[in-house]
Amino acid sequence: MRSRFLLIPAYALVASAPVHATVYLSVEQAQALMFPGATLTPDFVTLTPEQMKAIEKACDVNVLTPNLKAWRVSTGGWFIADQVVGKHEFIPFAVAIDAQGAVRSVEILEYRETFGDQVRNEAWRAQFVGKTHDAPLKLNSDIKNISGATLSSRHITDGVKRLLTTYALVLAAPHG
Amino acid sequence: MHSSSPLRTVERARPLLGTTVNIRVEYADELAAHRAIDAAFAAVASVHGAMSFHEADSDLARLHRTRCGVRVQLAEQTAEVLREALKLAALSNGVFDVSIATQLVAWGLLPQPAHVNRPAPDACWRDIHLDEEHGVRLERPLWIDLGGIAKGYAVDCAIEALRAHGIDSGCVNAGGDLRTLGGGPHRIVIDTGEAAASHHPVLELGEAAVATSHSRALPDHAAAPHVHGQARTAAGRRECATVVAERCIHADALTKLVLALGPASTDLLLHYDATAYWQDADGCWTTLGTSP
Repeated sequence: MRSRFLLIPAYALVASAPVHATVYLSVEQAQALMFPGATLTPDFVTLTPEQMKAIEKACDVNVLTPNLKAWRVSTGGWFIADQVVGKHEFIPFAVAIDAQGAVRSVEILEYRETFGDQVRNEAWRAQFVGKTHDAPLKLNSDIKNISGATLSSRHITDGVKRLLTTYALVLAAPHG
Repeated sequence: MHSSSPLRTVERARPLLGTTVNIRVEYADELAAHRAIDAAFAAVASVHGAMSFHEADSDLARLHRTRCGVRVQLAEQTAEVLREALKLAALSNGVFDVSIATQLVAWGLLPQPAHVNRPAPDACWRDIHLDEEHGVRLERPLWIDLGGIAKGYAVDCAIEALRAHGIDSGCVNAGGDLRTLGGGPHRIVIDTGEAAASHHPVLELGEAAVATSHSRALPDHAAAPHVHGQARTAAGRRECATVVAERCIHADALTKLVLALGPASTDLLLHYDATAYWQDADGCWTTLGTSP
């Protein structure tokens, strides 16, 4: 395998503004992909404090907001757009729940985690300003791949668990 | 995404294999690109389901529940990964050993499995007997974790799925174990886990697989996800290994051997026509294996 190994000074490697953000899908794109051909009707819910407490008790995951962005699907099932807190940032994701209440698919909508705190830290980078003539390499536009960044999916799987519980206790309940 | 270019890029991500798997493809037909990505994610999910240590209905969980000596039929893919793992174990004389799950559970890095046989303290890869018809039999009770190799295999399966759907340029990245499609050149930055590193390594390559392993971000104690199979001690507490190979299953598994053996992994790398970029505890880089 041919490969070329380069050591790039940290000051010459910058994250594209604002941070290393990758937008995968818009909510509309995710809806079209996860429920092709179906019509989705918004059925947004404001959870009561009692419902939030019940959800937390049932799934052991914190409920951060009472606002639930859920859509009813014409062919059966629900589409929910939500977010979890990653290492530093919110990670928006979408869950497709089928008519039987099982997870059909999960798509991450955006990823805003950064590559190394030191890259994102403006103050840390500022100390090198003017010290290089090299054009900085931009994460995202010049370098799209990172090897070795072990991005845990734990917070997302916890988020899915919380939404399944929310579905069972609120959306699927007769007076939900 | 440049509207002037005939090829556009689409990238999606799903939580799988305990990490975030993202798939990026270049396409002329958007719908076909999404279908290809759907198929690639399905391939990863199928590996996840069959080879997970945690999932109660995985092949491994079934094996761990079965009485010693009784043959268990594995899915073809699980058998393929286990065969590669046993080959690596034989070549490395047990430095790569999938029966280290016992250590990982003891260190709290894998969950305690339920309703399984208690592993024999000195059981190892030599107690795993795989036959030609994808059946496996354990001579002594042990727990298998394919975490050090299955992620790379899943990436290979995803790449095959993309190819089968007519995609010829893109990348599948499972939390740092990745494989590119098309000549690129692809640029990959290696996250070595160093705090405030003065330099970042960047790889430039064509169609290849790359995997990186280190455990620098973990708290400083004896436990680490990379285990020297013979010594049963944590490997690579201070080092970082990146391996470039044709297939990601090999790149993934070889990173563990480079972490455990350092420069002594050279022959193994040559066997797989792989190149390693190894950073020692002092931060110095050495190129090992096939000359890049």
